[in-house]
Amino acid sequence: MPKKAAAQAPLTPAVLHILLALSTQERHGYGIMKQVEMDSLGKVNMGPGTLYGSISRMMDAGLIRVSDHRVDPEMDDERRIYYELTNTGQAALSAELERYRGVLTVAQGRFSYGN
Amino acid sequence: MGTEASLLRYRTWYAALVRLYPPSFHAQFGEGLKQTFHDLCRERANARRGLAGFALWIYCETLVEIIRENTIAMTEMNKTILRAALGALALLMVPIAASQVVEGWNWELKGFVLTYVLFFGTGMAFALISRKMGAWSYKAGVGLALAAGFVLGWASMVHMSETENQLNLLYIGVLVAGGIGVWHARLQPRGLARVALGMAAALAVIALAAMLTWDVPERPGGNQSGLRGVCALLFATAGLLFRRASLAETK
Repeated sequence: MPKKAAAQAPLTPAVLHILLALSTQERHGYGIMKQVEMDSLGKVNMGPGTLYGSISRMMDAGLIRVSDHRVDPEMDDERRIYYELTNTGQAALSAELERYRGVLTVAQGRFSYGN
Repeated sequence: MGTEASLLRYRTWYAALVRLYPPSFHAQFGEGLKQTFHDLCRERANARRGLAGFALWIYCETLVEIIRENTIAMTEMNKTILRAALGALALLMVPIAASQVVEGWNWELKGFVLTYVLFFGTGMAFALISRKMGAWSYKAGVGLALAAGFVLGWASMVHMSETENQLNLLYIGVLVAGGIGVWHARLQPRGLARVALGMAAALAVIALAAMLTWDVPERPGGNQSGLRGVCALLFATAGLLFRRASLAETK
């Protein structure tokens, strides 16, 4: 998918959560899984297969890339590969959050959501 | 001790399972998958929770993804083969049409078959190599290098069949050395840049040496020299493009 299109297209829940997990800092696979679990309050629980399948497609779409960062001080393993957001990934995340805000605004107006 | 042995066993089994991914996926993410599986199992073991059921769930989850990735890879491969086959067929129309209208163009059937195989092989090589990197400069470099290699190989073979000029063996030697260089470079842009620039330099040196030392009757003809000069230029341009891709990769 062209990068501009990738930045505008709606995201799957797994991709959205991975982008969210990487929005604050670069992380390795296990770090992403733990952050997604924390962000979703344990509701999104992806296995390594789903995670790396999503990472592969996100790299192809230019949403994330491999970071130069290698060693996690706690894990201390040079082989760990870290991933970080690209500008396209940041734009895709912003566009998706904007869509969510739009939906939320409509819902609040229609159902007095949250009152 | 028992937990450590279980961890090792589950990880070994998982490593065997991960090998079922398509080779390119395994090369890129295999280590990460195994590491993540190990981290998850370690976390579970530290929390003194059961491992067997958890490992089984991860195996099933990964197996589903393996089937998915292999299906995607097969679909992509089928599409690639179809595109290369149709592209080669389209290019083959040129000599077929030429044989109908150009006087003296009398290829036998095996000539057309060989040409088709060469077109198809070059197309497949481009499709398979160029997907190694997303950078346009890498893809353009692969295209130029393959085009130059095709023209050089083709011209040398045709010239060899028509004359006994041993110079053509040198050109074929450059192609063979280039092939070995590509294999050694593992298709990485930095190594490919060296190979392409080396081939360009070798072609230039051979042409220069031929002009200076070869007997007049065995000197390559003007058109042949011009063709090899174009090939050297294409290899040099491909080398610069690979270099650009390499620099972009390290940024």
